[in-house]
Amino acid sequence: MQRLSWTVVAALAVLALVVAGCGSSGKAQHGGTVQILNTAGGVDSLDPGYWYYQTDTKELGITQRQLYGWKPSEDTPTPDLALALPQASDGGKTLTIKLRPGIRYSAPLQTRTVKAADIKYALERCFLPQVGNGYANLYYSEIVGVDEFKSGKAKEITGITAPDDTTLVIKTKRPIGVLATGGALGEPCTTPVPKDYAAKYDKGKTSTYGEHAVFTGPYMITNDGKGNVTGYEAGKTLTLVRNPNWDGASDYRPAYYDRIEVKGGFDASVAARKTLTGKGLLSGDYAAPPVAVLKSALQSRRDQLSITSSQGNRYISLNTQVKPLDNVNVRRAISAVIDRNALRQTRGGPTLGTVATHFIAPNTGGFEDGGGVKGPGFDFTSSPTSNLAVAQKYMKAAGYKDGMYHGPAILTVADDESPAKETAEAFQAQVAKIGIKLNLKEVPHATMLSKFCQFPKAKVGICPTMGWGPDFFSAQSMIAPLFSGKNITASGNVNSAMVNDPKLNAAIDKAITITDPAASNKAWGQLDKQVTDQSYFVAWLWDNNVGLESSDVQGVPSKFNSGEWDLAFSALKK
Amino acid sequence: MGRYIVRRLLWAVVLLFLVSALTFVVFYTFPSADPAQLRAGRNPNPQQVEQIRHALGLDQPWYVQYGRYMKALVLHFDFGRSYHYNSPVRKQIFDAVGPTASLAIGAAVLWLLVGLVIGTISAVRRGKLIDRVTMTGALVAISAPVYWLGLVALYLFADDIGKFKIFPGAGSYTPIAQDPWAWFTSLILPWTVLAASFAAFYARLLRGSLIETMAEDYIRTARAKGLSERRVVLRHGVRSAITPVVTAAGLDVGILLGGAILVESVFNIPGIGQLAYDSIRNSDLPIIQGTVLLGAFFIILANLVVDVLYAFLDPRVRYT
Repeated sequence: MQRLSWTVVAALAVLALVVAGCGSSGKAQHGGTVQILNTAGGVDSLDPGYWYYQTDTKELGITQRQLYGWKPSEDTPTPDLALALPQASDGGKTLTIKLRPGIRYSAPLQTRTVKAADIKYALERCFLPQVGNGYANLYYSEIVGVDEFKSGKAKEITGITAPDDTTLVIKTKRPIGVLATGGALGEPCTTPVPKDYAAKYDKGKTSTYGEHAVFTGPYMITNDGKGNVTGYEAGKTLTLVRNPNWDGASDYRPAYYDRIEVKGGFDASVAARKTLTGKGLLSGDYAAPPVAVLKSALQSRRDQLSITSSQGNRYISLNTQVKPLDNVNVRRAISAVIDRNALRQTRGGPTLGTVATHFIAPNTGGFEDGGGVKGPGFDFTSSPTSNLAVAQKYMKAAGYKDGMYHGPAILTVADDESPAKETAEAFQAQVAKIGIKLNLKEVPHATMLSKFCQFPKAKVGICPTMGWGPDFFSAQSMIAPLFSGKNITASGNVNSAMVNDPKLNAAIDKAITITDPAASNKAWGQLDKQVTDQSYFVAWLWDNNVGLESSDVQGVPSKFNSGEWDLAFSALKK
Repeated sequence: MGRYIVRRLLWAVVLLFLVSALTFVVFYTFPSADPAQLRAGRNPNPQQVEQIRHALGLDQPWYVQYGRYMKALVLHFDFGRSYHYNSPVRKQIFDAVGPTASLAIGAAVLWLLVGLVIGTISAVRRGKLIDRVTMTGALVAISAPVYWLGLVALYLFADDIGKFKIFPGAGSYTPIAQDPWAWFTSLILPWTVLAASFAAFYARLLRGSLIETMAEDYIRTARAKGLSERRVVLRHGVRSAITPVVTAAGLDVGILLGGAILVESVFNIPGIGQLAYDSIRNSDLPIIQGTVLLGAFFIILANLVVDVLYAFLDPRVRYT
């Protein structure tokens, strides 16, 4: 019966995605202007070396080309500046990438073509503190010479070479799966940056290259043609126009629009209503519209919604170094007693995602091996609603004879904005069923992370409003950063559960080196089962992204970019 | 009067220094996000965070950082760069001044017009039907939360999401230099919403003050001299009763020039208030510092203007 119900749920989810995809009917029109309405500040930086989050990729990714890109419905990288996937040699430790010749930059470097050395410099500058990249250490730290470059002992990364203008060679200390498959080479750090032009902007406290960037993609930020961006006001406006130097014939992206205008600062409710009732509009940097607008849209404007899996999750972090959460059975009891359905309701109900049964989310490698939709079969994760009997069983196993906790309140820090605020408050009521009282503090998101949940000295027991998503389709970016003890740091500690199990660390290290995709998925899936069993992070939702489009717009969601609109494939309807 | 103004301006500089120092202390004392961490992205290594902290000077004691900040500000009028957006703060703040000034000054004109007219009529017709109706309306306007009133105004009258598509909606703000008519129409709803509660408050304030003034001996003398009631009320009554209104208006306009967060947010006017709100949520100290200084400057300036206006309104006031 359980199997049947999950099958039905899965079938309905697939059907919903198909229906959502069919919602964008009509033929794509070349030309026209689209407006994107943002609510949360928009892009973080104009510098491709800094881009990391979905909004950066959505609103600025189309101004550049990287070694590899992602077609909106595919989960394997497409060669872009590269001519093919990396050629591995030396037991997988040397990767050779041949580049497409003749790709030109925008003004003022319009006469210049992209060279392999530009990508070498782009990768190197991602390690410069003044650029402030957030993922280079995760994916590129095994490249030979990175440590010396970071410490200032070397002026370049010796493991990255450009023997000629169209050949890039990357040498690593050991085989790295996400490099060999091209996934991590599709990140913005491989956006070409010409050193002789950019180096002067990369000096000083913070790089100002973003304000002077040159473009290789189908669009560019409006600029004066002399290397000064003019079409951007932080948090307010971003204007993109066609890049006259773009080589459309060699790019996999059709780029229908002539002009893309991003406007920021909207109230979420106003932005959502404007998009649904207006013309030529797409939703911007908000994952889902406010609940009231969503409910109304589901009833009357279903064909203007795009509901797709974001591949990310929502989870509750339980700090293993704070009592009583150091006891695995207390953590399992919390996993059993929470009502995942009710928590999902605080975000807007089933439209916002599928109740999670383990950590890795659908559409990411390792998901099926981790248990698929049904999950790994643990009794403390199998029920979508609260299971008090199972929770009390684990509390008793933890030494609480009456199945109730009688200790002091646990310091809990949550986001202070809706809907996360409501999620935290619902969680507080749910764990009270097993006697757990929370000392709940609600603070701004940035404060929650950097001063509490990712700051071990704060000794926060529970962070109930956390979320994580993969950078691309590899589960490495879901498991390794969060569960490896090697990632515990004094600040910015994403391993907020303080997991440090030597066996788990070793298994993660081993999985990173697997270059065969099937074997890699299996390894990460097994690790997913292990961490779910330990209930370090209790995943309760596999997130959906809800995009809104005006009736005359044919939005195309990008599977790679968490279901956000792919502006290079979206168009006005004919 | 000239010496008085110069003295007040010098005090203003001292006050601005104090406000800026206080902002620094507050930022360091209360929990906030770590700017180096924010700048370093999602999964940086500690070494990188420390490098960023050092590069931004965040590893120095607060007074050293403050000293550097003030030096750059005084010598180069440089407010630094935003931690969050990595863009110059000066440009962001100066870009936001125009929209906020448009909103605050326009709304002030509206609320003073409406508030003074209603307040005067209410005081003169005290206890009559018109007094009761206007004062009840004022109570409602004061009680309605501005954010809610803004959303209601948009859902009723905005030309995109409104029931009756009359006025430009959220995000339609256009600078006056670009298109004066579009500027004017885009601000009709925000001005009305912002002015509603202020107009109500000022009407009640003037009503109370005018009722008191109209009972004074010199009003009776004015009537005894045979002046028309209109002249008695406007020349002798309102002129004297308006003093508390001028005080309140000066302060209110000063505060609003430092940002009208709620109205700017609902109508998506890219002003100081919205910038300040975003920067607080992002722990973006350089912008917080800039907006606080600007707000303080406007409040100090408004106080000075009010004090000078007193001298013109009330012949008994003389400054030395």
